[in-house]
Order: sequence, then structure tokens, then C-alpha cells
Amino acid sequence: MTKKIEQKRPYPPGDFGIWLIVYMELITFGLLFMGYAFSRRGDVELFNQSQLLLDQRLGFINTLILITSSYFVVKALESIKLLDREKASALASKWLLRAMSLGGVFLIIKIVEFSGKYVQGISLSTNTFFMFYILLTAFHFLHVILGIVILFNIRKKTKLGEYSAQNHVGMETGATYWHLVDLLWIVLFPLIYIIR
Amino acid sequence: MKFIWIILVVLTLFAFLLGYLHLISYSLVGILLVSTFIKGHLVIDYFMGLKNVSLSYRLIPTLWLLLMVVMIGVAYYLPISA
Repeated sequence: MTKKIEQKRPYPPGDFGIWLIVYMELITFGLLFMGYAFSRRGDVELFNQSQLLLDQRLGFINTLILITSSYFVVKALESIKLLDREKASALASKWLLRAMSLGGVFLIIKIVEFSGKYVQGISLSTNTFFMFYILLTAFHFLHVILGIVILFNIRKKTKLGEYSAQNHVGMETGATYWHLVDLLWIVLFPLIYIIR
Repeated sequence: MKFIWIILVVLTLFAFLLGYLHLISYSLVGILLVSTFIKGHLVIDYFMGLKNVSLSYRLIPTLWLLLMVVMIGVAYYLPISA
């Protein structure tokens, strides 16, 4: 029986610059998460009552969408490492398209959710819970849009055959941003939609 | 990698059912936070690909995630003085 030896890479995947962006985003969202968690202590009843107005099913579906989309990006990166360059580009391009499409569905669901709240007369000034809910989810929404734009660009380059098994740092950089968007939502979903 | 995705889906379903079926309770919040940490850690290690990089790079997002989960727990469980 042979044992697979995995060698540690000295640096994370993608351009180093993307990791600086990742760290800054983690700090920014982290502060907002803490702001929500500790503000809740000021009026637990208000937060619990307001949370009942959220549709947990939409939050759940959107979590599944982002997790699956992130998985598709992983598949794209796996595909680009195939030796047959033409096949690798075609396959990776397909996975990226699927990932982008799911990102688009996420945005549509979020718009449905936001418009529902708007019709109910809910805004940033309704109360502290909704201020955080709108601030956090709208900020995250903008990140999803940027993520889709990045995926669109790396797909374009993939189709042009600019990435290969040996050279795919650009794809790794875009993938890292998309996984960040997923990671942030993984914390956001239970914090805003579930914990009470 | 498909196995990681399945675990993420199952843990997400667990979180959703806790909320949707109104099963979430004082003690289950702790378990939900642990499951959130596991999900985030799986994304960091396997999706972001940090499992096989130098420990310092792997630790930064992992410690952030741990800090988030612990602080949310502290904010939830710390007694509120009247």
C-alpha cells in the first residue's frame, strides 16, 4: 500500500494581494458581526420579535446556493489542472458558468427578500435589528455582485485558454474571493436568521 | 471534495431546522455555533485550499472564525445585568 505524501505549500493559493483583501474583509465583517451580537444584548426581545419577520427558508436556500457555488468553483480549479489543455479550459469554463449562475440566483432571492421588507415598510431606521440586518446583508450582497464580476472575468480568460495546469494563479485569486463571500455568509446566516 | 460539500449541506440543514421548527434553545445555540465553526473551517481548509499551506496563513482565517464564534457565544450567554 502506498501512502500519498502531500507537500505543504509555503504560500496560500492566488495572488498575495487577494489575501490582504480577505483579511481586511474579515476584520470589517467581524466588527459588524460583533456589533450585532452585542447590540442584541441591549434589547433581546426586540431582536427576537424582529427576527420572526425574516424568512428563514430564503436564508437557508441562499446558504445552500453559496456553498454549492463555492463547490463548483473548486471543481473549476480541479478541471483546469487537467493535462489536456483544451478539455481543461472547456470543463473549467462550464463549472464557472454554473457557479456564476448560482450567484445570480442568490442575488434574485435577496432582491425578493429586500423588496418584501420594503413593502412591509421596513427600513434602516425601523429598529436596531433591521439596521444591522439591512446593513450586513446589503453589504454582503455587494460582495456577491463583485464576486460574480470576478468569476465572469476569470471565465472569459479560461475560455481564451489563458489558464493551464501550470499557470492558474489568476483563477485561484478569483476563487479565493468567491470562497470568502461564502465564508462570510456561513457566519451571517445563523447569527441573523437562527440564533434567538 | 464532494464529501465536504455534503457535510456543509447537512450542517446547513441542521441549522435551518433548528430555527424553522423553533427548536433553537439556550443550550442548542452552543451546538449551532460549533457547527458554524466546523462549516467555516471546512471552507477555509478545503475550498480556500489552506489545509496544505504554511500554518501561519492557515491560522489567520481560522482564528478569525474561532474569535467570531466565541464572541457571539459570549454575547449570547453572558448574563445581562438589569
